[in-house]
Amino acid sequence: MHKGIAASRGIGIGSVCLIVEHDLSYEKKKIEDTAAEKARFIDAVERFKSETMEMAEDIKKRLGPKEAEILEGHLVMISDPTMAGEMGKMIDAGQCAESAVEAVCDMFIGMFSKMDDDMMRQRASDISDIKVSLLKILLGITDIDISKLEPGTILVAKDLTPSMTSQINKENVAGIITEVGGKTSHSAILARALEIPAVLSVPDITALVKDKDSAIVDGTEGVIYINPEGDVLSKYVLMREDFIRKQAELKSFVGKPTVTADGESVELFCNIGTPKDAKKAIECDGEGIGLFRSEFLFMDNNHLPTEDEQFAAYKEAATIMGGKPVIIRTLDIGGDKDIPYLGLKKEENPFLGYRAVRYCLGNVDSYMIQLRAIVRASAFGKIKIMVPLVTCVEEIKKVKELVAEIKKDFDEKGIDYDKDIEVGCMIETPAASLIADLLAKEADFFSIGTNDLTQYTMSVDRGNADVAYLYSTFQPSVLRSIKHIIECGKNAGIPVGMCGESAADPLMIPLLISFGLTEFSVNPVLVLTARCTISKWSKAEADTLAAKVMNLTTEAEIQTLLKTESKAKE
Amino acid sequence: MVSQKITVTNEQGMHMRPASLFCQTMTPFASDVKIVFNDTTFDAKSVMMLMSACIKCGSEIEIQCDGPDEADALKAAIELVESGLGD
Repeated sequence: MHKGIAASRGIGIGSVCLIVEHDLSYEKKKIEDTAAEKARFIDAVERFKSETMEMAEDIKKRLGPKEAEILEGHLVMISDPTMAGEMGKMIDAGQCAESAVEAVCDMFIGMFSKMDDDMMRQRASDISDIKVSLLKILLGITDIDISKLEPGTILVAKDLTPSMTSQINKENVAGIITEVGGKTSHSAILARALEIPAVLSVPDITALVKDKDSAIVDGTEGVIYINPEGDVLSKYVLMREDFIRKQAELKSFVGKPTVTADGESVELFCNIGTPKDAKKAIECDGEGIGLFRSEFLFMDNNHLPTEDEQFAAYKEAATIMGGKPVIIRTLDIGGDKDIPYLGLKKEENPFLGYRAVRYCLGNVDSYMIQLRAIVRASAFGKIKIMVPLVTCVEEIKKVKELVAEIKKDFDEKGIDYDKDIEVGCMIETPAASLIADLLAKEADFFSIGTNDLTQYTMSVDRGNADVAYLYSTFQPSVLRSIKHIIECGKNAGIPVGMCGESAADPLMIPLLISFGLTEFSVNPVLVLTARCTISKWSKAEADTLAAKVMNLTTEAEIQTLLKTESKAKE
Repeated sequence: MVSQKITVTNEQGMHMRPASLFCQTMTPFASDVKIVFNDTTFDAKSVMMLMSACIKCGSEIEIQCDGPDEADALKAAIELVESGLGD
């Protein structure tokens, strides 16, 4: 077994085709007939351009415009006056085409690879691809035709060039293994778009395999097997069938409403960090945004973002969601999240300190900037305000007063906003849970944050390995707290959502259905999985299970029971 | 020569697509177009040079145009940066 980076989910089993690196060495010679050499160079550039254009068109057709962007970038770069132009000048001065291509590309590779910016470093590998392609054309080297491989081929290469990936299709390539490349590399993006299992960055793999070796690619776990034993192989054959069946099942949930087995509708929203993520939520079939963490605006910045800057971001998210709810959590800093320019004091117990709503209400001027930006953006969609780390009624009351003040000011100035904008509480402290009945009279909605609720209820620092075993949302105390919060919300007639990781947990979902949660907010990639799990439980079945669970006394018993019952639902 | 300072506000800064849009817009002008950033001057009609400048969101740049249509070129450049470079 060899480990690498899990770059594209699924399991591939097949026979290896090893793509060998070509020898791109050439003889450096002084050119006498520079005009002829220049013509040879221009021919090569033209051929590179037309081949690249063809591949880009093909990828656009097969996978969509986003996947073709890298190849289109190659076209822009080679057409740039400083690329082909500089190479041409060197040839005029007597260098051979190969060495001109290499010198100019290497100069740019050196420049881009030194930059402190991931996207710019990616350009270095683009230029390296251009160099290799141009040298191959000049040296008359042709690659093997990947589109004509036998079905069930596992491609093994040092790295996949865009020209290789553009020829890959699902019919004959069962899996991909490379020696370099990460989760966001071109190979990884294409493998995921094509739904071909891929494991990247496996050390020395090209030296360890030969053609026709049998191989297993587990792109979910990031492991591969070369010439596996019979029992490993049969285990993976079953796992592959299972994976394919589950994927097909998940796909059947695209565009469907989120309903329980007995037809009860619930909302399935997404957690996002930037306005751009809202697009992802839509792509993944999310029905709204249950948690928009506003911290990114403050963290990726060197100054307190202005009202206009914040407004633009909130408006963008609201517009992308086109009228679907967008719940914006106001600034949640402190604890483990620091923002240098705010000049927060170092605290001995930051998780029990000056953070989230406490900081915001202590700095009303800067909090007002954020609230004003949110209320302004509410004119462009269905925006709601969510207050983090509430521990007493005064906090939510105070925030509502600030919002009322803003509304009054906007009315006077004639600024548009949503008059019904809701203000809700994040319930993530034992204090808030215990007074959930009181908070429910003030808040328009609740959203349970399970990560902090678990940490505070169990008094566990989840980063501390010695006590991490106590950190579980399945602890009877945490489950009782969640149940109580949802009941208080129901009694007061306000919706209760959950935006922690637990909302997507297949073991937790039946309990949440039984307790009466109305909104599940999950990572966009988990929307379909959560919708699928929700569809399997009726309220009556969930109630029966929840009643048993709430009678158990230990976390271990609860997990065991939930695992058994969930397994039966698969 | 005419010039103006401006802050780049699009999220990505001068990455591939914004830089290439900028070059495409400036190339038709007869004037030379340059960007000064961190005391270095870059040819603004070259995508490679623009990207190599590593201009990010929040960077202040100076756009310089020199030639027969310099006023129009500068106006077009400023408008493009203000509009967020197509981001």
